Amino acid sequence: MEDKKEFVVALAGNANVGKSVIFNQLTGGNQIIGNWPGKTVEKAEGFIEQEGVRIRVVDLPGIYSLSTYSEEEIVSREFIAKEKPDLVINVVDAVNLERNLFFTLQLIELEVPLVIALNQYDILERKGLSINGKKLSELLGVPVIKTVAVHNKGLTELFEIVRNALLKGEKKVSHLRYGKEVESRIKELSEIISKKVKTYYPPRFVAIKLLENDPLIKKEIKDEEILKKADKFRKELKEIHGEEAETVIISERYAIASRIAESVIERKSTLKESMGDWFDKIALDKVWGYVFFILVTIGIFYAVFKFGSFFSDLLSNWLESFKPIFMRMPLTPFWNKILWDGIMEGVIAGIGIVLPYIAPFYLILAFLEDSGYLARIAFLTDNVMHKLGLHGKAFMPLIEGFGCNVPAVLGTRIMERDRDRFIAAILATLVPCSARTVIILGLVATFLGPVYALIIYVLDFILILITGRILNKFMKGTPSGLIMEMPRYRKPVMKIILKQTWIRLKDFVYFAFPIIIVANVVMEIFSIFNWIKPVANFLKPVMTDFLGLPPLAGITFLFGILRKELTLVMLSTLYHTTNFAKVLTPRQIFIFGFVTMIYIPCVATIAALKREFGWKRATAVTVGEFVGAIVLGGILNQILKLFMP
Amino acid sequence: MIRNNVTLLDIKAGEKAEIVSLAGGYGFMRRLQEMGLIPGQIVEVVRNSAMGPVEISVMGTHLAIGRGIAAKVIVRPVRRQIYGR
Ligand SMILES: Nc1nc2c(ncn2[C@@H]2O[C@H](COP(=O)(O)OP(=O)(O)OP(=O)(O)O)[C@@H](O)[C@H]2O)c(=O)[nH]1
Ligand SMILES: [Mg+2]
Repeated sequence: MEDKKEFVVALAGNANVGKSVIFNQLTGGNQIIGNWPGKTVEKAEGFIEQEGVRIRVVDLPGIYSLSTYSEEEIVSREFIAKEKPDLVINVVDAVNLERNLFFTLQLIELEVPLVIALNQYDILERKGLSINGKKLSELLGVPVIKTVAVHNKGLTELFEIVRNALLKGEKKVSHLRYGKEVESRIKELSEIISKKVKTYYPPRFVAIKLLENDPLIKKEIKDEEILKKADKFRKELKEIHGEEAETVIISERYAIASRIAESVIERKSTLKESMGDWFDKIALDKVWGYVFFILVTIGIFYAVFKFGSFFSDLLSNWLESFKPIFMRMPLTPFWNKILWDGIMEGVIAGIGIVLPYIAPFYLILAFLEDSGYLARIAFLTDNVMHKLGLHGKAFMPLIEGFGCNVPAVLGTRIMERDRDRFIAAILATLVPCSARTVIILGLVATFLGPVYALIIYVLDFILILITGRILNKFMKGTPSGLIMEMPRYRKPVMKIILKQTWIRLKDFVYFAFPIIIVANVVMEIFSIFNWIKPVANFLKPVMTDFLGLPPLAGITFLFGILRKELTLVMLSTLYHTTNFAKVLTPRQIFIFGFVTMIYIPCVATIAALKREFGWKRATAVTVGEFVGAIVLGGILNQILKLFMP
Repeated sequence: MIRNNVTLLDIKAGEKAEIVSLAGGYGFMRRLQEMGLIPGQIVEVVRNSAMGPVEISVMGTHLAIGRGIAAKVIVRPVRRQIYGR
């Protein structure tokens, strides 16, 4: 019997090819899926257990090459090269065979056991093409399985082949040859390497990477003689080909990839303009693109607002109708208060105020993510982003921020440089997440009207722009530019959209809901023992004198640090009503909405900031936003006094 | 060095160009090459307006390239064949 019971299998491949869909299908995992490159930014693990075999499956960020460029790609390379998985499933976009094979060839050079999943095969067929899998497998010396991950096709077969390969454990190494000049130098160099140094990597791989002038590999191989020799070879290659050695090698590797791709793709049909190209004429137009974008955004918020307020009323009224039943229960007033005002009002707030807004919001977000439109927004906003010292790709995590700021902060890893990442992360914390949307829609839009909600959003966006400009001024460095593969539009798959929505909602139901209820009970206890007054009085100078809010609002802000929804939930608990127009003036509603929007990142976001950037910077952001919100809120209050009672 | 001032920015939408060289830092140059912008490769410019990045079609996929970077991609315009109409 094998002594080793657990196997490690990694999913690797270009960005946006379907690795995470396959991961989720194989392991039942909950990886984020969407139609733009760079969603998975750190490795995720899942397990498959079957007939005594335990397989640890690792989902990796997408990478284009084993040379590295941005942070999430280093994660992938390090994992494949250093942790040596027992097998790598190379997920390949069948529609884009040539470019994907460029990476496959490097995996082959790395001499890891490989199985290829030829994914998105449905789209290839829709284009009237097919791939000769058997021939591809022979040419590469690697098993090839055609898959349609979103419809769970071919995955059972894929798993069988992976399993068999693992159990057999045989390693056969195939090499693809470069041109004569390059090949002879690789050989000579790798012979010296195998004699002189020990590395994680196979000697041939090291030799190739040295000829490509890879900085990380050079750092690892400290041997003078080898580095000198590599340099000499690089010079020779440059003389022969008239290009830098790395260009020569990349070109030859692409030549191999395209030769293989050409020989296996069958039935080439003429490429006609697809629906997507046609749609891009509007979506990416220098005028209509922005018009369309604005219409889409407003449309989404309006739809969420309409849907949300309808169900919010319905559900709140229904739940309120249980009050008499609770009141009739034979309990002491204390327990009655805890039960109804503490627990039940928490439940009502969660179900009645929060859920009706976030559920449709998440659904639409998932739909947008899967459609491919998000990458178009990145394209449109590239120029604006440059003014903030970023580039278009930063827009992707920012949009993620509308759902929740935490993945947005993590998602900034797709930015190539630390400075860009930090700026993007700060801006991400200012993006109105779903919790804040609940407050803006449930409070401002409901009691003042949608236009006022829109004004708050616009103010927030202006604030993001200004913050970006200021940060760009103070944090040195020229921004790097945008290089992004534009994903194809896709008809979103219902099952995947519903699952994405559920993953996010689950977080709310299992995590936020209990917090809301506990916070409510705590608040009720405070109120029973008359502890609220002293705290409120303590906060009064800032809250009332400066911001013009009722003193009690300060307490809701304290709870809001846990989760932003809590500000509104607590407001309803403190006043025992969800009709906020009765207890707040229009100006107070507006200021309340504005301040909650920006006053602090919630604890989860602060934790994410700390994890990504360290305590110092996380604290700086938190304090900065807190002070900024109070100051801006105060100024806004003074201005609004002129217009609003 | 060949002196050639035509860059991706100069190619109009709908026209094709051949990549000549990339004039920039190691990191970004590598990235572009790995995405298929190798010398000799023909690319088609799909979109190019002063408002946004340049979009090109290379090896069957579309790439968006920021204007700053596109300015460092040296190309040679490929004339469209006029005969045969
Ligand atoms: N039509 C079709 N769509 C697919 C298939 N597999 C994945 N997709 C879609 O492709 C997109 C990308 O899938 P992901 O699994 O998130 O891709 P990934 O490789 O993990 O991407 P990164 O994490 O960004 O590197 C999603 O919109 C999926 O719905 C497939 O076989 N057919
Ligand atoms: Mg992924």
